[in-house]
Amino acid sequence: MIEGTPVHFHRMKDMPSSHLLGTGTPMCAGCGGLETLHNMYDILGEKTVFVNAAGCMTLLSVYPFTPFRGGWLYTSMASAPAGAQGVRDAMDIMIKKKKLPEDENMEVVVVTGDGSAYGMGMSATSGAMDRNLNFIYLCYDNEGYGNTGQQYSAATPHAAITSTSKGSHGYPGFKKDLFSIWAAHHPAYVATIIGAEPLDLAKKIEKLQGMTGPRMLISLAPCPTGWDYDPQLSVEIGHLAVQTGVWPLKEYINGKVTHTKIPKQRKPVEEYLKLQGRFKHLFYPQRDEQGIAEIQARIDAYWDNVTE
Amino acid sequence: MFRIRFHGRGGQGMKTASRILGTAFFIEGYEVQDAPRYGAERRGAPIFAYVRADKVAVNERGIISHPDLVVVSDDTLVGMPAAGVMQGIDQNTVLLINSHETADTWQQRLNTQAKIIILPAQEEIEDRAELPYIGSQCAAAAAALSHVISKQTFTQALTEELQHLGDEVVKQNLAVASTAFDAMAPHSGIVKESALPSATDYIKPEWIELPFEKAEISAPAIHSGATSVKVRTGLWRTMRPVINYEKCSGCWWICSTYCPDGAINVTDDKLPDIDYDHCKGCLVCVAQCPPHAIESIPEHIAKEKELAGAKS
Repeated sequence: MIEGTPVHFHRMKDMPSSHLLGTGTPMCAGCGGLETLHNMYDILGEKTVFVNAAGCMTLLSVYPFTPFRGGWLYTSMASAPAGAQGVRDAMDIMIKKKKLPEDENMEVVVVTGDGSAYGMGMSATSGAMDRNLNFIYLCYDNEGYGNTGQQYSAATPHAAITSTSKGSHGYPGFKKDLFSIWAAHHPAYVATIIGAEPLDLAKKIEKLQGMTGPRMLISLAPCPTGWDYDPQLSVEIGHLAVQTGVWPLKEYINGKVTHTKIPKQRKPVEEYLKLQGRFKHLFYPQRDEQGIAEIQARIDAYWDNVTE
Repeated sequence: MFRIRFHGRGGQGMKTASRILGTAFFIEGYEVQDAPRYGAERRGAPIFAYVRADKVAVNERGIISHPDLVVVSDDTLVGMPAAGVMQGIDQNTVLLINSHETADTWQQRLNTQAKIIILPAQEEIEDRAELPYIGSQCAAAAAALSHVISKQTFTQALTEELQHLGDEVVKQNLAVASTAFDAMAPHSGIVKESALPSATDYIKPEWIELPFEKAEISAPAIHSGATSVKVRTGLWRTMRPVINYEKCSGCWWICSTYCPDGAINVTDDKLPDIDYDHCKGCLVCVAQCPPHAIESIPEHIAKEKELAGAKS
């Protein structure tokens, strides 16, 4: 917490009651990524330029329709942070040359999925952090290439069934620790968020608004389509991701990682897993005790090292 | 060539239906093309998939504009212009509708020359996005109507396509598909192959000459925000959340914060108000409302009630 930053978000009643993001987007019913974005946008406000790498959310703005009230730029999957650099530089130069009034300055916000953030966009992101680009990056992480039918990505968790890991044990790899990779660049801010915890999200957005430099956010984005569950469970699954310790809510500032929500009594991870079709093979036709225990052990090992 | 179009809602398995039917044609020795329309198909949204099958190479491409058979898994889509069910239908087209209502009713309602056949709807399902097995039923009915796919071939195709879901799923799908296949027996062969279009027979349509417009007229720059509200995503909804204001505790708009689409507005009296033009029916609000003041009812029943209310 930066000294002197006022915090407006204490309780749910502090959350905005009107919403900036237009309705009528083509995101799936129950989209966890959209939930994050609309809550984030309410706080960031309309003076924002979104730089959007190819993914589900590029469908947000399809001419002549857009849910945004400010600017939007579409880039290829690997180059959204490079696009953000261009937009930032252009605005800085215009302001310097007095071609753009200072009060019309806008915040540049990169929005990409996990396919881009954890994989092919990583080099451009690393470069943007090297150059200390003044921007915000939101990765909506639905743990696979959701827009094209949920192929596995570097963010796919161990054992999840995807359309490219259909075997009886699901995805054999492990979810990449993007938070640590980003934090290792020592940017101004890195945080994990989730739409199901709007207050935690709001506090973090508010905090990063008071900073300059790269401000990086990873939001777990429960995905009814890709994870195979009833859309009405989106928030419930989000809550369980936090309560079971699958999705630690944390932030990195000044070389230090702090958890913003440490579950006192973590729920067993199977409560999270069993609601999702992509993990059905762990429970049906027979329970895979060993598989579940391994997933639980990795979560426990993570939290054993967490003190703050 | 057989040209068959499947219409349904995202989640009902129309893409799978087209795959099963395509595979069945293939096993019977046909050249086959099957494809879902690629786009922003989402659960509950109107979607379609199509199959072309011929004994010679299929060179026709793109969306089927003159179908020999149109299969509709959900009769609430028929009257929805955005679903495009009626597109390109003429007297040679067979229209197969999964419905509780009779062919006569639909014939009158649609005032079409197409031959209408009813695939009798099973027991009433609350959530139309979850019609179980409808994809397999539609594929089986289409196969039977074509007369060129044997039941044995169909069984083989369905098994191949659904094998990855496990034996139990295959068994259940086969059971309902078999009933649908048999139910179509009286109409077997009603769907006829239509001829290949010939370049020499091509009759140039009577074009309306529209002068070329400048780009700024046909695709103008839009200096306005949040134009997406013009898109009525409420059409996707199969279940409608309804707020019981007697139970609503007027909390801090938890439903509005959680609604992924931001489709719940908060009134000046601090009460939530659902925007049905855009609510996609995910029902997150129903699941999260602290005093359980939001319940869900099937959209088609809600619509019927609205109509009845408007008439009385």
